Amino acid sequence: MNLMGLQGGQYCPLSPEQIKIVHEASLKILERTGIIYEQGLEDTVQMLEDNGAAIDRDRKNITFPRDMIIEQVAKAPEKVVLCGQDSKNDLHLTRNRVHLGTGGAAIKILDPETGDSRSTTLKDLYEVSRLVDKLDNIHFLVRPCIATDIDEADYDINMFYACLAASSKHVMAGVNDEKGLHNVVEMASMIAGGLDKLIKRPFISVITSFAISPLKLCTQSTHIMQEANRCRIPVALSSAPMAGSTSPLTMAGTLAQLHAEQLAGITICQLTQAGAPVLYGGIPGMANLKTMGYSGGAVECGMMNAAIHQLSNHIKVPNYNSSGLSDSKVPDAQSGYEKAFTALLASMGGSNYIHHSAGMLESMLTIAYEQYVIDDEIIGNCCKVLKGIDCDAEHLALEVIDSVGPGGNFMTAPHTMAHMRTEYYNGNGVTDRKSREKWEQEGSRDIRQRALDIAKKLLAGPKTLYIPEEIDRVIREKFNILLEIQ
Amino acid sequence: MTDFNEIKETLVNLDEQRLIQLVNDALEKGIPAGDILNKGLIAGMDIVGEKMENEDMFIPEVLMAARAMGKGVEILKPLLGEEETSARGSVIIGTVKGDLHDIGKNLVAMMIESAGLTAHNLGVDIAPEEFVRMIKEKNASILCLSALLTTTMPMMKQTIDAVVESGLRDQVKIMVGGAPVTQAFADEIGADAFASDAGSAAKTAKALVNQF
Ligand code: B12
Repeated sequence: MNLMGLQGGQYCPLSPEQIKIVHEASLKILERTGIIYEQGLEDTVQMLEDNGAAIDRDRKNITFPRDMIIEQVAKAPEKVVLCGQDSKNDLHLTRNRVHLGTGGAAIKILDPETGDSRSTTLKDLYEVSRLVDKLDNIHFLVRPCIATDIDEADYDINMFYACLAASSKHVMAGVNDEKGLHNVVEMASMIAGGLDKLIKRPFISVITSFAISPLKLCTQSTHIMQEANRCRIPVALSSAPMAGSTSPLTMAGTLAQLHAEQLAGITICQLTQAGAPVLYGGIPGMANLKTMGYSGGAVECGMMNAAIHQLSNHIKVPNYNSSGLSDSKVPDAQSGYEKAFTALLASMGGSNYIHHSAGMLESMLTIAYEQYVIDDEIIGNCCKVLKGIDCDAEHLALEVIDSVGPGGNFMTAPHTMAHMRTEYYNGNGVTDRKSREKWEQEGSRDIRQRALDIAKKLLAGPKTLYIPEEIDRVIREKFNILLEIQ
Repeated sequence: MTDFNEIKETLVNLDEQRLIQLVNDALEKGIPAGDILNKGLIAGMDIVGEKMENEDMFIPEVLMAARAMGKGVEILKPLLGEEETSARGSVIIGTVKGDLHDIGKNLVAMMIESAGLTAHNLGVDIAPEEFVRMIKEKNASILCLSALLTTTMPMMKQTIDAVVESGLRDQVKIMVGGAPVTQAFADEIGADAFASDAGSAAKTAKALVNQF
């Protein structure tokens, strides 16, 4: 059952009136408070000044007239198509169409043999990506973890390589610098058969944390973002304030500041390259006020991520956000409800590209193979909710009711046969609905064990080599590829 | 013998106005500034630190307490003897080069201050040479390095190497921390200590100062 790209928008935490209030507040923030920059962004700042922004070079502060923002933001495409190497995995990001997938850069994994947490490796990155490739409800692959066992200089090319070798779903990740970006684009072009073909069907994209909340441009990431614009590679404009530490404690204040950061970022992109494909990348988060740590599993994260989509939809730019995180350290009841709540709220909000929604634990520090299987099930359920209840004549089933008649049963009706595989969400097998007897006979296994079994079974299958052998050879000649695929 | 309980309680209750009043009153009564600092303000912050570790207090409240304490210290500073001021260890803290994460590091700096040490917070993206320069300039006894990225953890090692090269290694104890940093990594790169959160970082810093 492919439940990708369904229509969200059923949950609207902001009323139409409130959307306007927040949007106006954000424009005011940019006009009055502005954003700051550091050394190294002189060219970007000059470009902004030439196009109407006011620059205070002593304070390194940029303020934006509202008309300038509105004019530039209008140039951003209303629809961005992120492709898979296989076109069945293409994502059409626009309006309220919903997609969910993995999130990035974890540094620890629960070892599948011992269950204990340890550092992630290049092999984990490859194997987890293979697992994601096989889990139908996970719609895209944001580089799930860091290969902590390789040299930092080899990060960018090797992490993209491992993902592209393991999966035909869309691959997105951050890069360390502009050189890393160029290398990755070159490698992807080799696979695509040329840069023009890659631009036409972008099966990779990049994330840049261009803003350091509150309201500050990150020099390095802004450079990468602008370079991606010039290369016409889609880019997600990540900014991720935590309510209470890097944005106001209140949800509305956090949304207003974050929307302002996004408006500024999109403006920079569109001035760099008019029409550049960008994803509005506001990720509203929360600080745990007792530790100042990141509270990814809080229900308010789901609420705010639904709201931020409303704001991106208001300016007609597809969005990248975050939900389905948990603060729990292991797959348990807490991770189950935190993920289900936040992923469902963000989905029903209509978010276009919800990352972090598969595999993660301990906010975003840890992943687990079994968690991907459980989250695949949670995402499947979320998508089913979006699908809603069909109410046409066939689904109303008046004919069947009449032919079965009072006192009959529907078990053998052709109508039942016709709909039994599609009307309800058929799980991936991880959910237990057996009798107690049967469950006990099978070893009384809990969801973590069941999920791990499924993961191992999926990974035991043959390895699909998504990068054709002859291209692989050329790539390995050109770049220092460290992954050995047996 | 004076009762410092009121000062401690007032600090824990975040009543800055009253705290200043109490510090001034105590001075008027002839109580030595050093006693007010150690038995009143720092002892009060110890209670706050404990409450923070037990998650009985919100961090913004802890920050308010630290600010109130700072106001008290300002009043006492001119009256403190040479010995008392220099006994307070001087700490250099910063996030290593290439790393821009500062929320956790700032929290650590704040808790170290409220443990009675002087923290010089250099900021983020700090090069090894800059750390070395500041150790000299501030005659520091502790160096605290923060890193949140696996890509910048090697920079911790490089920073320690630079300290060794500068000949200052015997003068400073080095403590490291940040989400991906572990005790094992700290050992591997030749740091003297590791702490996993701001509360234990402050305790460890105090213990390190006492080792001198
Ligand atoms: C907030 C955040 C950001 C903010 C930082 C804002 C700021 N002003 O600091 C922004 C959005 C800017 C950011 C940017 C990036 N980030 Co970031 N970020 C985080 C996040 C979510 C929380 C960090 C935090 O503030 N925690 C709260 C504080 C209170 O906790 P803490 O920092 O751990 O500090 C405590 C302890 O560690 C300890 N401690 C800290 N320092 C010290 C020092 C000493 C001496 C001692 C003793 C103790 C100690 O005490 C502190 C208090 O208890 C983490 C994930 C996570 N859960 O850790 C990712 C994370 C660290 N970031 C990550 C990444 C990948 C990035 C980017 C590269 C993203 C990108 N693709 O562009 C950029 C890098 C920018 C750069 N060059 O530094 C990854 C790291 C992966 C890796 N390779 O190691 C993480 C793990 C998230 C993830 N899984 O994707 N990030």
